[in-house]
Amino acid sequence: MAFIEIRNLFKQYKKVTAVNRINLEVKEGELLTLLGPSGCGKTTTLRCIAGLEKPEEGDIIIDGKSMISGGFVQPAKRGIGMMFQNYAVWPHMKVYNNIVYGLRLQKISRKDIKEKAKDVLELVGLQGLEDRYPGQLSGGQQQRVALARALIRNPKVLLLDEPLSNLDAKLREKMRFEIKSLVKRMGITSVYVTHDQAEAMVISDRIVVMEKGDIVQIGSPHDIYEKPASRFVADFIGAMNFIPGEVVGVIPGTNEVCVRTEFSDKLLCRSTDGNVTTPGQKVYASIRPEDVEVFAEPPQVGENLFKGTIANKAYLGNFLFLFIDINGTTIRVQAPHQLPQEEGHEIYFSLNPQKCMILPE
Amino acid sequence: MSRGNNFLSALLWSIIALLVIYPLSILIIESLKVSGTGDSGIQNYLEFFQDTYYLKTFWNTLVLSTMVLLVTTLFGIPLAYILARYRQRGKTIFTALILLPIVLPAYAGVFAFVIFFGKFGTMNLLLMNAGLIEKPLNFIYGFHGLVFIESLHMLPFIVLSLVAGFTSIDPSFEEAAEVEGASGFRRFITVTLPLCTPSYLAGAVMVFLWPFTDWLTPLILGQVDFLPSVAYINIAYHFTDAHRKYMGIVAVVVSSIVCITLFLLARWWVEKRKYTGLSKGTTAEGRVIEPGPLIKTGSYLYMYFIAALVLLIPIVLGLSAFSRRWVFEPFPTYWTLDNFRVIMMESPGLIKNSFVFSSIALIFGVVFGLPAAYIIVRTRVPGKDALDFMITLMLAFPGIAIGVSYLLAFWKGIPLATHWIIMPLALFSRRLPYFLRIAHASYLQLDISLEEASEVCGVGKFRTFIRISLPLLIKGVLVGVVMFFIMAFQEISTAIFLYRGGWETLPIGIYLNWHRGMEFGISAAMAFLMIVITFILLLIIARIGGGVLKAAWGPGEGR
Repeated sequence: MAFIEIRNLFKQYKKVTAVNRINLEVKEGELLTLLGPSGCGKTTTLRCIAGLEKPEEGDIIIDGKSMISGGFVQPAKRGIGMMFQNYAVWPHMKVYNNIVYGLRLQKISRKDIKEKAKDVLELVGLQGLEDRYPGQLSGGQQQRVALARALIRNPKVLLLDEPLSNLDAKLREKMRFEIKSLVKRMGITSVYVTHDQAEAMVISDRIVVMEKGDIVQIGSPHDIYEKPASRFVADFIGAMNFIPGEVVGVIPGTNEVCVRTEFSDKLLCRSTDGNVTTPGQKVYASIRPEDVEVFAEPPQVGENLFKGTIANKAYLGNFLFLFIDINGTTIRVQAPHQLPQEEGHEIYFSLNPQKCMILPE
Repeated sequence: MSRGNNFLSALLWSIIALLVIYPLSILIIESLKVSGTGDSGIQNYLEFFQDTYYLKTFWNTLVLSTMVLLVTTLFGIPLAYILARYRQRGKTIFTALILLPIVLPAYAGVFAFVIFFGKFGTMNLLLMNAGLIEKPLNFIYGFHGLVFIESLHMLPFIVLSLVAGFTSIDPSFEEAAEVEGASGFRRFITVTLPLCTPSYLAGAVMVFLWPFTDWLTPLILGQVDFLPSVAYINIAYHFTDAHRKYMGIVAVVVSSIVCITLFLLARWWVEKRKYTGLSKGTTAEGRVIEPGPLIKTGSYLYMYFIAALVLLIPIVLGLSAFSRRWVFEPFPTYWTLDNFRVIMMESPGLIKNSFVFSSIALIFGVVFGLPAAYIIVRTRVPGKDALDFMITLMLAFPGIAIGVSYLLAFWKGIPLATHWIIMPLALFSRRLPYFLRIAHASYLQLDISLEEASEVCGVGKFRTFIRISLPLLIKGVLVGVVMFFIMAFQEISTAIFLYRGGWETLPIGIYLNWHRGMEFGISAAMAFLMIVITFILLLIIARIGGGVLKAAWGPGEGR
């Protein structure tokens, strides 16, 4: 059952549409990520859920209760915990006072507050730092204070607004897993906003990709990566070669489509679900750099086998990065092995038809 | 670093030594002299702190400072909150209006309120005519009037620094409190206000120091038992009585010590408490709220009220300036340009003097301020922090201390005071920080790599400064120039000690005309002229970009 339901949400800032009538459901206990470039409306959506923004139209239902149509519910009354991008840990209060700030406003005895604080400090690994001021903590520790503050009131919903974007790369990778396992252990329904696709892949049960105020795709990390709904999604998540072409026809009895491109009259591609493939339609034959196979010598057999020239070659340690030129089209390749050829030499490569998908123009 | 920078720094220091350190040390030496003997000692100070009269003035001044701070804070917090947070029309105009007293000469306000709220002033006459009161009420003569007038004059300092504080708080600090369940008022008390304390304090200290500086307002209101007024009377009227003169100097030194101590304490506290948040910089206007209709109306009324009080100053002075024989009438009945004619005929030199002295002081200010800003912001010359410190300290120094010390120092030893050049020099050192702070603030925002790129291209430091830095800083520099001019133009507390016949400036003329019991109208006309000139200059600042001004007046140093 949907725990959070967003219905027809519409929000404008000075005539600029930030969120364009989106519908979305978050299941109970799910960790859902809103992913997209800056300005796509992901943060606005999150702030609408929190009640920090009032949408022009639409409704938000949390745990069966309407937050808007039945009278605007203030953020404080929504049963949410929130982590802000800059943590928003109050610099003039000690760690302990930061964490119990919200609890003190409720009618809870001092003893209970103390106990809860002890538990949550242990949970996020901040024991012994209660009496420090935020200025005396590292970025990672401040982030844990923010997390503890968001969790202490046992919220029904946890909202996270790019909580890791201020950390350095190493710590960020570590915290992804920590937050995920913590949230999963507590079973809190969570909405997570990020522009970092790798972060979204690691952390999410489902990803919602947004572009210019619209939802363009919802799916598991696997689905989003393997079956992107559009060129935008494919480009935003991971890297992708887009080879412009025109549909020639469907090969009968298979799921393969024949596409005419600059360098080949019959490039075989897998037709993705729902994509119409009428002959003559302009499409992109799309393949990820790591799915392109390269060969130093011409292989015996293989479909979609082509010969090109190495335009650029770079060694990145765990793999090789190539730009192959073929009749003016450049193909990006991530090759996992050594190659004898240098820049300017010829090379063979194959575009596996099952990995080569068709995306509408 | 480079020899050029060291040389420049040495040059600036020698100017500071001549115009600040030397006269102030003479002031202290004089305060230690015992009259009638050639001895020196702390007798004067002992007497000062044992004499019930001097102790009373000291205590009075402290009470006045506290009251003024209390009143400005109480009225300033809501005002700053409205200006910083509520989205409403006409905000810019209101901001400009409410901040007007900061640039208006303090004495202009005093005269206006005397005319309006005086014993047979407009307010009393209107109330009596309406039959609401029998006898005139005492609105301003007394302690309460002093608190009222000084508070209105200093209100902008509190408001400006609080607005800077409110707008610079990262909105997420308050949003986090909102999510945690804190209601509006509670959020304000527990999060917003504490985060503003550093900015508040920067303004509060200026407010608290004002009664230790302003001798004129109490004098006009018939109150003399305050430190600066007593000092002024002792020194200006009893120059022949050596003992009273020395006691006056002691009062000046005591005021200065109080001012500097408090100023330094506030600075130290702000420095200690500077909250370095993690935010990557906030939106330009911070958090803005759309208030409900009731609150909106209330806040408008409140702004109108303060703006009306401020506007009273130019309006009343204008009425008085364009009329004659305005006595025992609520409003003038006889309109004339006579006052201006008298000014033009009898004392055109005043206007000329004001412009000439302020302009020369301004040239000194720029010639000193630009290299000083460069040294402080861009180099590591030893002692540059001390230089910054000395210059900023001049913000806290009472004008009367500078005036008296110049009088003592440049009369015998270095006889500068016999030449009119002493006037612009005194204005220059009195207003030293104004240009520098603004230039400094905009210099800090200039990315150093822009200058480095020029040096890498083979252009020397001086040419880089002229060709690259200065054009990029021009906005801040121009605002600083105009601001300095305004502040020099309205200066009186230093100049009054140094002027000789023929050197009178407009502010001095205003004071003298009032003091000699001549026509009030001429004083009013002069004050009105000053307001008009100041207002034009303010418009110029607004044209250039008032934002720079806000940045410079914002909390703490080095913003």
